[in-house]
Amino acid sequence: MKRVMVGALIVAVLAFAAWRAWMPERSPAPAPAGPDTTATGLKAARLFFAAPEGDSLVSESRDLPEAGTLHDRVATLIAELGRGPRGAAVATLPSGTSMVHVFLDDRGLMTLDLSRAFVTGLHGGSNAEYFAIASLVRTLSANIPEVKRVLIVSGGEPIATLGGHLPLDQPLDVQDWP
Amino acid sequence: MTFLASPARWLARLASPVAAVSGLALALLAAVVPASPTAHVTERAPGPDSAPVRRVEPGQLLGSLGAAPGGESGRVIGANDLARLLDATKFWRADTRKLELRVHAHRVVLNADNPYVVIDESTVKLPSPVLSFGGELQAPVALIDSLPSDSTINRLAWDPRAGVVVVVPPGGVVGAPRVTVQDGVTRLTIPTDHVEDVAVVARARAHFRLRFAGYFAGELPDSIRVGLLRGLRTLPAVTGSALELELSSDAQSYRLLREPKRVVLEISRVASNSWDSFAPELPPGPRALRVIVLDPGHGGSDPGVVFAGAVEKTLALDLARRLRAEIEHRLHARVVMTRDDDRAVPGQARAEIANRAHADVVLSLHFDGLIQSRAAGASAYVPTADVGSAAGQLGGVGPGAITLLPWRDVAARHAVASRALAEAVLSSFELRGMGPTRLRERLPYPLLGVNAPGMLLECATLTSPADRARLGPAGLDALARAIVDGLEAYQRNL
Repeated sequence: MKRVMVGALIVAVLAFAAWRAWMPERSPAPAPAGPDTTATGLKAARLFFAAPEGDSLVSESRDLPEAGTLHDRVATLIAELGRGPRGAAVATLPSGTSMVHVFLDDRGLMTLDLSRAFVTGLHGGSNAEYFAIASLVRTLSANIPEVKRVLIVSGGEPIATLGGHLPLDQPLDVQDWP
Repeated sequence: MTFLASPARWLARLASPVAAVSGLALALLAAVVPASPTAHVTERAPGPDSAPVRRVEPGQLLGSLGAAPGGESGRVIGANDLARLLDATKFWRADTRKLELRVHAHRVVLNADNPYVVIDESTVKLPSPVLSFGGELQAPVALIDSLPSDSTINRLAWDPRAGVVVVVPPGGVVGAPRVTVQDGVTRLTIPTDHVEDVAVVARARAHFRLRFAGYFAGELPDSIRVGLLRGLRTLPAVTGSALELELSSDAQSYRLLREPKRVVLEISRVASNSWDSFAPELPPGPRALRVIVLDPGHGGSDPGVVFAGAVEKTLALDLARRLRAEIEHRLHARVVMTRDDDRAVPGQARAEIANRAHADVVLSLHFDGLIQSRAAGASAYVPTADVGSAAGQLGGVGPGAITLLPWRDVAARHAVASRALAEAVLSSFELRGMGPTRLRERLPYPLLGVNAPGMLLECATLTSPADRARLGPAGLDALARAIVDGLEAYQRNL
């Protein structure tokens, strides 16, 4: 009797194993992307937007893939600024703004060439203009500490002013945008 | 055949129910103690990069981790904040629940629920475990004392006064000032690491500002009136710190002495050729208002802000006309308009009109807008008082002998008067319920090349429904009266 039971158990196990092995393979549910970032490094970036009351800048921290070159870092930062805030803040960059070129000299002067959308896409008054410039300057200086001054140009051409309120003809000292 | 050819796969399938059960358990655990997502916290933008330090109470801990709150005082810093302050790249290993922060050649490995932290080649025991709490790993703030200290990694400091961990700027730390008076000279002695980086950035007596590369870690008294000093406060700064002094109108000159590990600001009642001068100010008493230039913003093909039927260029011109009548009626001053119809006037032409008229005051009239915000009220933009009275004068006072000022920035010579004008008008707005108001010291585009006191005045915010609702004819008349009230206060100069 005992032998019969052991035999039955072995048969049951083998039958279960055979069933598992020969059953048509079901496509497994896609596993959610795990937080394992061993291969790709993430770096916290500090992005600046306008406060909802329009009286100051606010900052958000956001994880971005680590970029190797200055060009990639600045392009990523500006793209993230363009995506706008995730929290309670107000987007600042004119819609469609992207980076064309960037150059950083050994004295900390960054020349930032932005797409024409930066000039043509501003809809607002001096507050909108102030925060468009301030969020750019503060975001760049916060994430690239070598940046001391920023000269903004568009399409390779200098910009006298964005909306007629603040001059952009000279480099902007990052210390002047608290 | 498949059965024999892939035993590993077969065994894996056999084991899958167990894996599913354990996976479910891990998922439940992860739901209770999330791994390490980034917190999207919006913060008022302070100066130097900083991160709040939380105080974790035992009752706040989720689950029974069997861990005490971080440190003796329970103060912890989030791993995401720590990585941001260190400018580190994060590598999270979900299987071992380790978070590695890499900064150049340095690495810091935090182990969840474990007090041992690997820092480069050594292991450091923290006063309490690193916790998984609030959606991310939380390390005791004591960790920052064990971080490497070389030039390749940011130096962090715990500021108990502000309750934050800050990145100590390359300029180091600035201490509390000490004020003394001797022989009629008021001296502020301020300890600082890098004296060469201290700069005077605003020279107005009422708003005299010093900027430091270092982080201000001192304390200031609530009120201070010693010698020529009337007030002292800290200001937000992008990096480092800034102090603003309010000085007596008796102050005539100053000099900044750089000594080892400290700067000394000396303020004298006596004008001296070897000392620096303050920003130009008119003498006390009523100010002349003979010619007032009104500059309605935008015009022609440039409408300015257009929102919900309100058009900035039209409103600005309408307000300017009403303001002209009010000024002529109450102040008996001559009013010159840069435009009196819907036309585009280049910035340089506007400045020439103001300069040719020998304007006593220039008001550039605008209406603001910031889409998708709660912004409302008025703003004024005025030049910064960053030049002394010697600027633009050959052979003027001051050790620089000759200070040249580009004509573009000539409005900076009138910065003190411009700020007084803006404060008077904005106060009038506040009294009439037309606020909130904001004053920004930043040379505005319409004042480039304008040799007179002035400001860019955003009279209301068109994207604010409440502001827009009061901009009918009666509302514009009220705005004109409020501006003239401010002009009268500026003229009295009490």
